[in-house]
Amino acid sequence: MQPRSATRDANGAAATDGIDPAGPDALTRPPRLSARLAAWLEASPRYVYLLPAIGIVLFLSIFPLIVSLYLSLASIRLVRGGFEIRFVGLDNYRKLFVGDTQRHFLGRFGDYNLLTLTILTFVLAVLIFLIARYIANNGFKLFGTSLRVLTAIIAFGLIWLVVMTYLSGGLPGTLVVTMTFVFVGVVVQFLLGLGLALLVTQNLRGKRFFRVVFLLPMMITPVGIGFLFRMMTDTLQGPIAPLWVALGLEDFSWTQTAFGARSAVIIGDTWQWTPFIFIVLLAALEGVPREPIEAALVDGANEWQAFRYVLVPYLMPVSLTVIMIRIIEGFKIIDMPQVLTRGGPGTATESVTLQAYNSWRALDLGGSSAMAYMLLFVVTFSAVVFVNFVRKRVLEHP
Amino acid sequence: MKKFMALASGLVLVASGTGNLATAQSGEFDGVEVNLVTFTGPQIAEPLQRRAPEFNELTGAQVNVITVPFADLFQSILTDQLTGTNSYDAFVFAPQWMVDYLSGGVLEDITDRVNNDPDLEWDDVGQFFREFSATFEGSTYTIPLDGDFHMVYYRTDVLEQLGMDPPQTWDDYLAIAEAANGQDMNGDGSGDFGSCISKVRAAQAYWWITSIAAPFIQTQGTSEGAFFDSETFEPLVNNPGFIRALEIYQATNEFGPPDEQNLDVGGTRALWQAGRCALTLDWGDIGTLAIDPEASIEAVQTGTGAIIAPGSTEVLDRETNELVPCDEQTCPYATDGVNHAPFASFGGWSGGISAAASDEVKDAAYAFFSYMSQPAQSNVDVTIGASGFNPYRTSQFENLQPWLDAGFTDEGAANYLGAIQDSLNSPNMVLDLRIPQNARYQQVILDTVLSQFLAGEFTAEEAAQEIFDQWEGVTEELGREDQLAAYLGTLGTITGGD
Amino acid sequence: MRKWFTSSSPLGLSPARKAISYCLLIFWSVIVLFPFYWLLTTAFKLPIDVSSGPKYLPFGDFQPSLNAWDEMRDFIPRPYRNTVVVGVVSSLLALFIGSFAAYALLRFKYRPRIGMVAVFILCGSLAVALVVVAGVYWWAAVLIAGVLFLAALATIGKRFKAALANDDIAFWLIAQRMLPPVAVILPIFMMFQQLGLLDTLWALITVYTATSLPLVVWFMRDYFLSIPMELEESAFIDGASRLQVVLRIVLPLSVPGLVATFLIVLTFAWNELIFAIFLTRGDSQTMPVLVVAQNATRGPQWWNISLLVLLMVAPIVIVAVVLERYIAKGILLGAVKG
Repeated sequence: MQPRSATRDANGAAATDGIDPAGPDALTRPPRLSARLAAWLEASPRYVYLLPAIGIVLFLSIFPLIVSLYLSLASIRLVRGGFEIRFVGLDNYRKLFVGDTQRHFLGRFGDYNLLTLTILTFVLAVLIFLIARYIANNGFKLFGTSLRVLTAIIAFGLIWLVVMTYLSGGLPGTLVVTMTFVFVGVVVQFLLGLGLALLVTQNLRGKRFFRVVFLLPMMITPVGIGFLFRMMTDTLQGPIAPLWVALGLEDFSWTQTAFGARSAVIIGDTWQWTPFIFIVLLAALEGVPREPIEAALVDGANEWQAFRYVLVPYLMPVSLTVIMIRIIEGFKIIDMPQVLTRGGPGTATESVTLQAYNSWRALDLGGSSAMAYMLLFVVTFSAVVFVNFVRKRVLEHP
Repeated sequence: MKKFMALASGLVLVASGTGNLATAQSGEFDGVEVNLVTFTGPQIAEPLQRRAPEFNELTGAQVNVITVPFADLFQSILTDQLTGTNSYDAFVFAPQWMVDYLSGGVLEDITDRVNNDPDLEWDDVGQFFREFSATFEGSTYTIPLDGDFHMVYYRTDVLEQLGMDPPQTWDDYLAIAEAANGQDMNGDGSGDFGSCISKVRAAQAYWWITSIAAPFIQTQGTSEGAFFDSETFEPLVNNPGFIRALEIYQATNEFGPPDEQNLDVGGTRALWQAGRCALTLDWGDIGTLAIDPEASIEAVQTGTGAIIAPGSTEVLDRETNELVPCDEQTCPYATDGVNHAPFASFGGWSGGISAAASDEVKDAAYAFFSYMSQPAQSNVDVTIGASGFNPYRTSQFENLQPWLDAGFTDEGAANYLGAIQDSLNSPNMVLDLRIPQNARYQQVILDTVLSQFLAGEFTAEEAAQEIFDQWEGVTEELGREDQLAAYLGTLGTITGGD
Repeated sequence: MRKWFTSSSPLGLSPARKAISYCLLIFWSVIVLFPFYWLLTTAFKLPIDVSSGPKYLPFGDFQPSLNAWDEMRDFIPRPYRNTVVVGVVSSLLALFIGSFAAYALLRFKYRPRIGMVAVFILCGSLAVALVVVAGVYWWAAVLIAGVLFLAALATIGKRFKAALANDDIAFWLIAQRMLPPVAVILPIFMMFQQLGLLDTLWALITVYTATSLPLVVWFMRDYFLSIPMELEESAFIDGASRLQVVLRIVLPLSVPGLVATFLIVLTFAWNELIFAIFLTRGDSQTMPVLVVAQNATRGPQWWNISLLVLLMVAPIVIVAVVLERYIAKGILLGAVKG
């Protein structure tokens, strides 16, 4: 018989002709399913194997997503027996960007002053430079260029938001707060996770203990961690309070100032998710081939050089993947701010998901969908930019 | 594959099936199961949970108490009932939400049941709760289990030491708070706080501002209303009275614990019991919690006094939109020149029945609520701090024995009950806002803007304007005429007083 | 002195470096473990012990009591049972369906035409929209959408030659993780309401299976990549059917990867909150919802909360210990190569 390739013919038909299912060969003794079911499964494995997954994802992710788009263009009321849906066009989005909810979502904008103008001009220059370089390298292609211009415009818009709400006396809205949590959090988590992984991967005794212990925070339900940190940061009953008092910071409350509250959320988030980065990077480090490093060290290179020229290129793909995962997951943050500060003080720690959730509670269902869509948009944008611009660039030019 | 599905289905069936283990007692409701939802306690949920087994022994009905977070309760009941999920058969909720529930046909009309239930002693229930909280357009829909008024509590020992009288106006309140702040009130050596008011978002903190603002805004009796103008339905927030109230509210920040903006009522009550506050603003729970020897320090047990919510000597002239001093015309109901407007906030947790439940479940649910409300049970529950039930029946004010049994002194009981009765009997009492989608006005908009104001994101004027604009936005959306009609309807229900 | 900073071999660690490393590691261990310790002790405190300032030592600063257990005892069984059932069932389902899908994406060639895919998605969305928005019976909606799909297929579908490849499908499946739950919760809520599935365990199970599938496909795909095709080919030569190959060769070889993936998706489903809050009422309430419900306005009962969180995390800690062993063997290494 000819050896079969792993892929099948166009129909995926199985070629088991002439095989007796009850044959003596141990490998072909039938499993304990009814023969008919087995035969059916065998006849069209390519669809049967894949379709359940596709089906579930379609019905519970894609279709609802598209319907959600329609709902975000509607005003919805709960009535007896179900919902009353009234199409209102872009009204919900209008409220988010220029209407009632603008302050809540985007924030309060400060003034243009020297600092903000400088930063914005600088960012604009960088973006224009990148586009110009693309055109110089690849010639003017309509699709590619317009795509990049669009990306640049959106990126500039987001950066403008961040600059104008944080600096010059503005107040950030939920979108900016969410982005803060994500990017600041990821940076801190990555550095910590990398550091811990590097420490643990050394030839130390008790490695196993540290590995287990460091894995633990990831296992607690996020609301639980929210409560935990609420307890820890309580100035009157928390265990760390005596430390503050000893340092003379008696009146300091984490949750009373915007900066303190955001820091508390980021600290809690870091405590919870550093284990994830740690475990992934550790697994990668454990798999590092020893020879290049040994060779380099024996040849007289010092630790730093070995790290930089051998380890870093090796870790780069993994690191970028894990950073992207954390960014994507980080945008969904809700448990920590909800429990720790309920989005306060004011709206300083309210994430977009929390705002959408509060809108749901208030039965403003259309507005809730619109916010969720904007979040999806920003997440997708960030992921796409990250994959295409950062990742590709870094991996191509080590 | 089949085996797996069978196993999975089996697991799921087992999980959803158990819980039906009603003890077989002879009773009229044998085998009937009532799913009752309220918010997570122990307040409110605890007495329900405690008495469910008693009720089960008496009647055979199994009452399951389900809890959800407070901020979710309104929406949870509404979506459960309107979407036909009907996981809940009975609810213990805020009567304020009745309007929205009734427009969806959620609540069962229990007028007849109540009229035919002598054990309930319906007339013993305070007139206010009977006629306002429990009814709507003439029909009764809920059974009150709890009474709710805001009051100010003070440490008698601290005030004595300072040589100050209990606060009559909000300026007095601030003065006392300032004087007491930093003093050691519980003997542990560290300074304590002049005023503890819970200010956290997404909780019940948005009620306090009305208690502070109402004395400035409402003077002519309950039917004048304190939230909206009776003709134009414009929110009564863009005026010096409300702005002054905001300033007072913010001023208390200075004398409070550092975490105050993240504290909810449980937090401030715990602080009170630990003796760390000179003043606080709360419902009736402080009175019963203070005498608990296991949770309160000695000084608090004997030194807690209550007084009707402070008023104001300056009130708003609605024509000129300015503050004017109190006299016979501007403040007809003033006592000693001070206009009080005690706020019957929240209306008292009450029990309602789902209109979609089966008849025998409805009967069982009604019987349970009646049981909970009957004086034999209710008069004991209102004396227990952890129950969250505050007095609402006339007999609870007249008969002091259960209070003394619970641990009040004669003086303490008279003081505490007196403060509540002053509020209940005031002709200038402020009623709950019972218009459609009041949750949106208060629980969402007011709560958020207040939180932002306290965090310093707005000035008082900006905050007032923001509330005004957003409330107007909702009114426009829902229809001004309809909202106005509903508002006036609720104001006309009761003229205040007994 | 030099001895402190030099090591005995080129790859060894100097004593100074060892000391510093241990210091840092122990410092972080304390940061990790102290909150656990605080949880543990607070679960056994009386309310007065909590509110009168931080008390650190059981039997020293305060006497442990079972007060929290008494208060919560009646509220726990149902949600706990629900969490276990939903978590285990959804993880097993996701594992099963996802593994088969991952295998299929590696061994079979798919080339669905873009036109067909687009039409299919539009028709499917139409079906869901009909159910959700117009309240049409679900079988009628499916019928309508199916007819439309076939009609469109005959005309537009064959027009566009461009097609998706296996990697695109895989990427798309994995990219579902990007979806914020709030973006889909409303239609899912309405869908389940129309189907009468609100507040049932099956609602949560299906939703969690859907959110876990991307992870399973991702991990298992990379794991299967490391199984040499020769093993399967020799089995085919011997006459085994595809299904037998999968069940008898591929899956048994992947048990470590399967276990690790199972544990990871179990942890996610165990701790998930948002979908649970939206889709459960009384019957199917899960533990995270019970925990967040303790955020009561009339008092955060820290002792109760600590107890609940501990009960929730106890089984998962065991999961963590087991999982660590698998990670140590570099099980998931392939999955994260990127």
